[in-house]
Amino acid sequence: MIKILVVEQSYLLRKGLTHILRQFPEVGEIEILGSHLGIEETIDHFEPSLLIINSSIATLSNEIALNKKLPDNCRVLHIINTILPVGAPENQLSIYDSKVSLIEKISIVIKSISENKNIEESEELTPREKLILKHVALGQTNKEIAAALFISTHTVISHRKNITRKLDIKSVSGLTVYAILNGIINMEDIS
Amino acid sequence: MRIHANMKIADLVHFNFEVLAVIQRLQIPFAFKDKTILTICQENNIDAEFFLQLVQWFNERENFPQEQLIKGQAQWLVNYLHHTHQCYLNYQIPRIEKEIEDLEQLSDLPDKSAQLMLNFFREYIAEFTAHIEDEENTTFPYVLALSNTIAGKMDKETFYIRYKNYSIDRYLDHHSDLEEKVFDLQNILLKHLPPPSNSCQFTNLLLEINRLGNDLKDHTLLEENVLIPKVRQMEKELISRT
Repeated sequence: MIKILVVEQSYLLRKGLTHILRQFPEVGEIEILGSHLGIEETIDHFEPSLLIINSSIATLSNEIALNKKLPDNCRVLHIINTILPVGAPENQLSIYDSKVSLIEKISIVIKSISENKNIEESEELTPREKLILKHVALGQTNKEIAAALFISTHTVISHRKNITRKLDIKSVSGLTVYAILNGIINMEDIS
Repeated sequence: MRIHANMKIADLVHFNFEVLAVIQRLQIPFAFKDKTILTICQENNIDAEFFLQLVQWFNERENFPQEQLIKGQAQWLVNYLHHTHQCYLNYQIPRIEKEIEDLEQLSDLPDKSAQLMLNFFREYIAEFTAHIEDEENTTFPYVLALSNTIAGKMDKETFYIRYKNYSIDRYLDHHSDLEEKVFDLQNILLKHLPPPSNSCQFTNLLLEINRLGNDLKDHTLLEENVLIPKVRQMEKELISRT
């Protein structure tokens, strides 16, 4: 499911936009903000895969800092309060756009996000991931795991992201419970 | 539904029972009779505007009244968050803990798995309690003192001496993600544990965990998107007056 964060000050636009987004079966949770206040914190814990933001709000918030905060692969659509010139980029939605053109632009981005997701999404852990999980569950840091397995910390982090996505478990203690339940480590190993 | 101050509070509850949470957290007594929202708020010294914004939000989830809540008084927000904490600590969390304890009696769960869940949840309770105590003992008094100073009820020098090195960003530094582990537990039970035969008890546990998780999300929203921006504004205001 695609998680979408909508940041738009107009109530009417928010309503209309969520109405359109809900028609896409790929769309999961939609979180809505009416201003730039608290946007960085929301991005941090909500981790959207699509951000739809009004350009006037984007200007108010620190745009560079905002882009850094966005999760990898998060796409951005901009809502523009004026009519768009011919040949405007596909990631701009004008409030004057027709239904057809809105749906088309949104479809393109949703399609590309879900295609990306499908490539990533095989649910079983690979043997490599199981090995990483074992070390995580034993309480080792990314650095320690990297040293033990002769790989870079970056590789460990990307394995960990995949493990969390596949299992839907984020915390180390949650991963530990999973590892014990599945015989990857023993209960005695962690005391 | 358009909620207004002159509608009966009992009608409001009938329309959506979820608003009982707001009523409880603002410490509004039951036995509503035919009283309107406005009367009840006046009787209990509650800011009717604040009450309306919260229940409106409960009825229309996609329209979080962020700006209006930021404009409201800090003391109401703190009061609401405080009673929400009490509800978690004294009721919701112990209940879930008890239900996980009861899982042990389900004979068909794999060995020690109930104990494992219980350990996980108790570790979470310890973190959760520490987080809440920090807010109750440090953050909330700071916010109230700041608000009193701006209102002229507290001397500015006294405030700056007392909170020389504190600002709301210090609080953010260790503002951990409270709902994360709740949803982890939910997913472990839902996706990774072999199914137990007494599914009634198990389902109920899942429902309660899910409810707590969603409630914590609301709580985070109020803290991160209302309380923190509001306090930042107040901090700036006080500095600009110096």
